[in-house]
Amino acid sequence: MPAPILELRNISKSFAMTAALSDVTFDVVPGEIHAIVGENGAGKSTLIKIMTGVYQPDGGEILWEGMPVSIRHTQAAQALGIAAIFQEPMVFPDLDVAENIFISHRDRGTFMDWGKLYADADALIKQLGVALDAHRPASGLTLAEQQTVEIARALSLKVKVLIMDEPTASLSAHEVERLLSIARTLKAQGVSVLYISHRLDEIFRVADRVTVLRDGKHISTKPIAAVTHEALVKDMVGRAIDTFAVKTKANPHGDTVLSVKGLVRQGVFSDVSFDLHAGEVLCFAGLVGSRRTDVGLALFGVEPATGGEISVAGKAVRIISPQQAMEQGIAYVSEDRRKLGLAMTLPIFSNISLPSLARFLKAFGWIDRTAERKVAESYRERLSIRSPNTETHVGKLSGGNQQKVMLAKWLETKPRILIFDEPTRGIDVGAKAEVHNIMRALAKEGVAIIAISSDLPEVLALADRVLVMREGRQMGIFDIADCTQESVMALATGQQELAKAS
Amino acid sequence: MESLRKFHPQTLRLIALALVLVLTVVFFTSQIDNYFSPRMLNRITSSVAVILPIAIGQAIVVMTRNIDLSVGSLVGIVAYVMGGFIGQHQGINPAVFVVLCMLLGAFCGAINGVLVSYGRVPSIIVTLGTLALFRTYLVEYSEARTITTDSLPKWLVDLPSASVVEFGGFDIRVIVGLAVLAALVAWLALTRLRAARQFYAVGSNPDAAVFASINEARVVLIAFMISGAMAGLAGFIFLAKFGNITVVAGLGFELKSVAAVVVGGVNIFGGSGSIVGVVLGTVLVDVIDNSLIRWAVVSEFWREALLGLLIMLAVTADTLMTRSFGRLRGSQN
Amino acid sequence: MLKRTIVKLGLASALATTLFAGAASAEGVNMVLLPKFLGILPFDQANRGAEEAHKELGNTGTLQYIGPTPENSVAGQIEMLTTATTQKQAVVMLSNNAGDQIAAAAEAAQAAGTKVVTWDSPIPSGKGESVFVAQVDFGSIGVVMSDMALSLAGGAGEVAVLSATPDAANQNAWIEAMKKTLAEDAKYKDVKLVDVVYGDDQSEKSYNAALALVDKYPNLKVIMAPTTVGIAAAAKAMQDEKLCDKVKVSGLGLPAEMVSYTLNGCAPEFALWSFVDLGYLTYQVSYALATGAIKGDIGDKVKAGRMGEFTIEADPGRAGSKRVLMGPFTVYNKDNVEAASK
Repeated sequence: MPAPILELRNISKSFAMTAALSDVTFDVVPGEIHAIVGENGAGKSTLIKIMTGVYQPDGGEILWEGMPVSIRHTQAAQALGIAAIFQEPMVFPDLDVAENIFISHRDRGTFMDWGKLYADADALIKQLGVALDAHRPASGLTLAEQQTVEIARALSLKVKVLIMDEPTASLSAHEVERLLSIARTLKAQGVSVLYISHRLDEIFRVADRVTVLRDGKHISTKPIAAVTHEALVKDMVGRAIDTFAVKTKANPHGDTVLSVKGLVRQGVFSDVSFDLHAGEVLCFAGLVGSRRTDVGLALFGVEPATGGEISVAGKAVRIISPQQAMEQGIAYVSEDRRKLGLAMTLPIFSNISLPSLARFLKAFGWIDRTAERKVAESYRERLSIRSPNTETHVGKLSGGNQQKVMLAKWLETKPRILIFDEPTRGIDVGAKAEVHNIMRALAKEGVAIIAISSDLPEVLALADRVLVMREGRQMGIFDIADCTQESVMALATGQQELAKAS
Repeated sequence: MESLRKFHPQTLRLIALALVLVLTVVFFTSQIDNYFSPRMLNRITSSVAVILPIAIGQAIVVMTRNIDLSVGSLVGIVAYVMGGFIGQHQGINPAVFVVLCMLLGAFCGAINGVLVSYGRVPSIIVTLGTLALFRTYLVEYSEARTITTDSLPKWLVDLPSASVVEFGGFDIRVIVGLAVLAALVAWLALTRLRAARQFYAVGSNPDAAVFASINEARVVLIAFMISGAMAGLAGFIFLAKFGNITVVAGLGFELKSVAAVVVGGVNIFGGSGSIVGVVLGTVLVDVIDNSLIRWAVVSEFWREALLGLLIMLAVTADTLMTRSFGRLRGSQN
Repeated sequence: MLKRTIVKLGLASALATTLFAGAASAEGVNMVLLPKFLGILPFDQANRGAEEAHKELGNTGTLQYIGPTPENSVAGQIEMLTTATTQKQAVVMLSNNAGDQIAAAAEAAQAAGTKVVTWDSPIPSGKGESVFVAQVDFGSIGVVMSDMALSLAGGAGEVAVLSATPDAANQNAWIEAMKKTLAEDAKYKDVKLVDVVYGDDQSEKSYNAALALVDKYPNLKVIMAPTTVGIAAAAKAMQDEKLCDKVKVSGLGLPAEMVSYTLNGCAPEFALWSFVDLGYLTYQVSYALATGAIKGDIGDKVKAGRMGEFTIEADPGRAGSKRVLMGPFTVYNKDNVEAASK
């Protein structure tokens, strides 16, 4: 094996009383794809921030090409050749692709040479083997395209170690393929890639070595060939777990609680029809951009449908606002916890009581704080939300626990119909299993559940039935017994049409 | 809509703005006698000359996701202090004097900038504070004296009537030339100067700016200093144009400049905007203002309200357009 | 100036609360002069007059000159009047810039024993006001402005008025008086008042408004601006556009600000009263009221030192209100303006 380009030796970092990292040692060699895995809170983010100069370690040393270095700020990391891209790409929405790529350059003269700028940008994009117009403003790019811009930016700065932090969490299957191929291209050009992801299947496909972190400690670094899926998960969580909840199959399906006929939102989706029964989990499957979420938002009245019929418990209803949806007993647990779901600066109990505040009122409209806390506490136990108490601000919780607070908040509205949008996006394996168990348990209690997910294994593990969508159209509804990963994928990608085109 | 996609949204905004300007002029031409004339052009340009530099400085500050509410008080300070100064130093070279005015402005702007970028206080709080602070300082400093026209050197008093070019009734004044020069320099810098692109970057996504190793604090400080220097230039023009300077000089210019910038399509949330837009916005606001006082139909009380309405329309249009373009582009992918 | 004010304020409030719980006392009368805002010449001159009277009368109480900054004029005045009330000041002498918005605060002041004497600009409704010390009779302003317009127009021609704000009570009263004079006396029959426009007492607005007048009325001969900001801005606008031969500017102005325009012929003639005298007289009236020398009823007579005796009378412009009339004007032209500007 060649000499390492980057070595971390006995790195420690604490915040207040908590140790985020203790005694972490591993190395990166040139031209390898090195995966780092671990549950949320294992210390991956802290590690990245130390390597990029955002944080300074409390102890240990960093070696760059064999020489001890200290990375005092992001500029220093950049100067060495370390760059990072994140799940939420760091681009400038108002600048175009080319400017975004070269914004950090100090060596391109005092004056802008726009012609050269676009030519150089095109060359870099080509080097990554993708197609992207360098003139487009970044505000119109998809997440995947924004990532490409960031990778091109890193490449333009002669990056030697590129850190990718959960790069595929929000990508469609097709985009994931493209990203993995970019990672391989970089590797072929001698760039080392530190690949951080929850998606173990991706890691097994691209990584050369894998390092596991748990509770801020280094657990193992092994060649990928030397580990199995199960062994990796065991290292991550510290115990053997079933990747997915054991399905308590065949819930006796109850009455039809929701019936949708020919639902349309002009220009977004059309002709969506299905029945949903009490105690059933119906999964919406499809690629990112297949408009599954839009159907969910229409049912919840956020972006109301422009045509079609919705009936709840046999009665035709009109839902053009979330208010009306909630009156019908519909709740919506959203994908974007920060934007749509939670008030990050408020404590857990306030978040939970928010949509059902009317039930926590005393005389004169005063809020019954005691009742609020009591209810919140019961959810904290039931959903095992990990926090000292319900006073903790939601912004301080990990992604999985935020997801649980969000769920608690909607459960408190006592919904008959629960819509989950990407219930486990960006949360780790352990938490994922917990959320799945909770969903199954709810279904057993007779709640009708719609789960929107782009994670196919999750769909197959969770669903009683699967509704596949593609580009705003309903491709079909299938009983889980008739579904395989391949059959769903074929419908979701429109393989027949692809075959025709090629 | 298909053909519209070819344009950058910003370009579209400029075209729309220019169209509104033309329509406004056409409308008032039909309403007011002798409206469309070289004389009116001269009136508008001379009037724009005072506010345009401030609007340019304001635009750069707004691009970085900040706002400078102290510009009006700054104009007052520069006009008053430098007016007093030139009364004592009659022989000073005019070019040196202009530079001194801008330096004084830049110094005051640096106070704002340091508090915002290194003190981490929101700019609206800082500049609301300095708006009052600079004005109070001026009240204290002036001891109720007026800078009077007869204390100023003749070249300064006569400057507003001096022309750069004059032909066939057209008459472009020196003070207009100064303001246009400032706009030209700002335009060239923002489009051609690599370092100036950082104003956009910082406003567009401050978090990303950190990762792109842009020194956000320094960029914001410089933006406020430019705003100050531009207010200084406006202070000079103000001094030349009005001669008598009291502590009320420049009162309310902060709102006028924000109006011009917003109407000119600079995103109030930072990151985008162009000097061409700012010039168009400033001219449009001024044309409406100067036309309404010549238009008998609208009463005094409605003029302010109309201007306010215009600003709200501009911001609403901006938000709606940004949103619909986001959709358009979203559906493209 | 501000620092001084603050120190005085602290002292005054200490004195007021410990020594002089009641308002007027034989030992001293605490008085406050509250201008529209600080920092411009006319109000400073009024303060000079008030201080002169303060010394002359040997008042052992305090005289404070406090006022808001220009951008905070309306709210600042109301706040300062309220503060003075809680400090149990004997009199607040107010040049009102807050219209009737200040009436409630003034009524509260009167109820708490603090007299409110207005000068320069009254409270339009007269509510909460003891008496208004008027600089000149509003009717006579109409006559003076009409006369200046007549002479500058050369006996006949178009005249326009450039005022401050459309809701400034004194400005509107003066303009009405001018209109009345022009209509009633046959000698003005060829002088035509064509328009009234507003410059909000801001230089750039007044400047633009003056030019708009010239554009709108090609035969305009006189711009009459009964505001010190407006007249100076209009004169500069005419000078910058080389229109001084065609259009003359006149109105009410400060000699120091107008001297160059009077000498170069852009504003050959304008009028003003003495702000020093106005401050002096306001102080005398206020002191007499506070000490109980007069009750403030119509017919009461005030001895005002060097200015002689004045009588409180009904204000003809504001029904139910009372005034003390100072008068007269000084009309400035190239013969006397230089001496007055020093």
